[in-house]
Amino acid sequence: MKLRQWIQILFISTCVLVLVGCHTKRKTDQSAINEANAAYATGAQTSGLGEGSHFSDQSNNSTMRLSTKHVYYFDFDSSVVHEVDKPAIDANADYMLAHENAKVMLEGHTDPRGSREYNIGLGERRAQAVGEIIKDKGIHPGQIRVVSYGAQKLAIPGHSEADYQKDRRVVLVYLQR
Amino acid sequence: MKLLLKWWQQQLNEVVVMRNRVRFLFFLFILIMPYSASAILSMELTRGIAGAIPIAVVPFAAGEDVPQHVADIIATDLQNSGRFKVYGQQSLSSLKARLSIGETSTVGFPSEVGAVSNDYFRRLGTDNVVIGKVVPLLNDRYQITFQLLDIFRGTGKKSVTLGRSYTVSAHELRSIAHHISDLIYQKLTGIKGVFSTKLAYIVIRTEPDGRMRYILEVTDQDGYNPRPLLDSPEPIMSPAWSPNGRQLAYVSFEDRRASIYVQDVITGMRHLLSKFPGINGAPAWSPDGQKLALVLSKSGAPNIYVMDVASSRLTQLTHDFYINTEPAWSPNGKSLLFTSNRSGGPQIYQINLATGSISRLSYDGDYNARASYTRDGNHVVMIHRVSGIYYIGILDLDTGTMRVLNKSIGDSSSPSIAPNGSMILYDTVYRGRNILAMVSADGNVQLVLPAREGEAQDPAWSPFLS
Repeated sequence: MKLRQWIQILFISTCVLVLVGCHTKRKTDQSAINEANAAYATGAQTSGLGEGSHFSDQSNNSTMRLSTKHVYYFDFDSSVVHEVDKPAIDANADYMLAHENAKVMLEGHTDPRGSREYNIGLGERRAQAVGEIIKDKGIHPGQIRVVSYGAQKLAIPGHSEADYQKDRRVVLVYLQR
Repeated sequence: MKLLLKWWQQQLNEVVVMRNRVRFLFFLFILIMPYSASAILSMELTRGIAGAIPIAVVPFAAGEDVPQHVADIIATDLQNSGRFKVYGQQSLSSLKARLSIGETSTVGFPSEVGAVSNDYFRRLGTDNVVIGKVVPLLNDRYQITFQLLDIFRGTGKKSVTLGRSYTVSAHELRSIAHHISDLIYQKLTGIKGVFSTKLAYIVIRTEPDGRMRYILEVTDQDGYNPRPLLDSPEPIMSPAWSPNGRQLAYVSFEDRRASIYVQDVITGMRHLLSKFPGINGAPAWSPDGQKLALVLSKSGAPNIYVMDVASSRLTQLTHDFYINTEPAWSPNGKSLLFTSNRSGGPQIYQINLATGSISRLSYDGDYNARASYTRDGNHVVMIHRVSGIYYIGILDLDTGTMRVLNKSIGDSSSPSIAPNGSMILYDTVYRGRNILAMVSADGNVQLVLPAREGEAQDPAWSPFLS
């Protein structure tokens, strides 16, 4: 009888321990996740504004033309803006000049090859290169935000040179028009 | 949680059943899959490695309901280290049948030193024999006993070179198996084993609606027991273990800009370390854990800084408009390696912290990045591009020669050295997916750890945790 009681006590205490263990563990994982999500929510002033078609519901004015060109591509390991993209960047700058409340985010991206942190540096240089063209038009620097995602947000998940060409880009996103 | 455990055990049982059916070499597929069919043979790598140590890991005597096959875990650990030629259950059984040895013993494999037939193992070609048993106790607890024998020293008790006994609960059986592997590895190689260490890395998943999820995960060194530390809709990068293994620093873009956080691995609590305008990247703990080297672009270009962790005081080390990134401490804490494109493409430089003087270390190739010192400080491991492919290279600082370690594999990145210097963990493109892989410091052993789902990248090997 005594032995049985001991077994019962051991069994119950083990159950409690296991449950406590599970509980704390879940709390650990979950709290980290909640915290991350909460932090993301606090940054929500920008979260609704993806790279998508910010002007697409407007038509027949100059902004429609802009929406076709807010992604600028780059050569391998280069932060030199292509001549072909400069008119579109200028057009965005003109819009910002006319709308001094307008704010843009320039997202710099690279292809996935090589060092991730070096690519963060490279992505920032690309975004800054586009930013310089906009600033040269007389735009207040406070209207431009730069973020480099490096190779962390690929345009195309593949691993061919054609995919890499799409990855090496700066995306101009209006945070505020 | 309980359901998860149950599911996990079912998975393990399936693994074990399968394992019994396949030949010994192929059971490596189950835990850590070698990267190609030919590499399975190179897992017999003992050929290629001078002084690979033969060892027989005899299946432990255990009841039917013991949830983990302790001897299998030990055999896999030792085999995957590349330092051993392991005779596990399958090879022992088949040889036993062929030589008609052990017919007198009807109980199967020996678990007591008195039952070991030295003759049998001598014919097998190994002096080193591991035996043991797992005895179920009350309340899901088990007593594990093992002995390492050197039958060259004689028979019976005279042959025992190592022996321990432990009482653990069911969920600790894997851990204790890894601990036993550590003891055996150290006894036979003289080097501390890394089987009880952990790996941190980032998993990227695409949700059904197309949105991305970034998860910071930590697993055991063999890929088991993955657990999330952070789950975010925005990128996570560059996890870095504190020297005591209790904290991870990492970069998170969770509010659409880069910030560096430091998170307690056990409690999950974290605090913000750095959130300057622009880049906050590449955190690296000093060997004493008092400082963090990091990259900030608040000056307009990425430069290397050192932050005193207690006071948050910053010291700027580089002051230019090139890309300077990926600081990595020397083992003595007196200098830092970093990547810079000051000569055109990325190359590795060293900065002396006392004098501030900078010298270039890498000259071979036009792309060298993400460098780290080996433990002895005599070599530097880095990303090294050859003919447009990104490999893991090792630079011998004495001779100045660079060697590619993983030449048969695709574009690779983020090398991280095991705390005992034996292996280098990195990520690579394998069959169109990003996965984690390992290569031994001599290049002779290669393993891959396929992600269960999604892509795995940016790994960091923990320090010794005990």
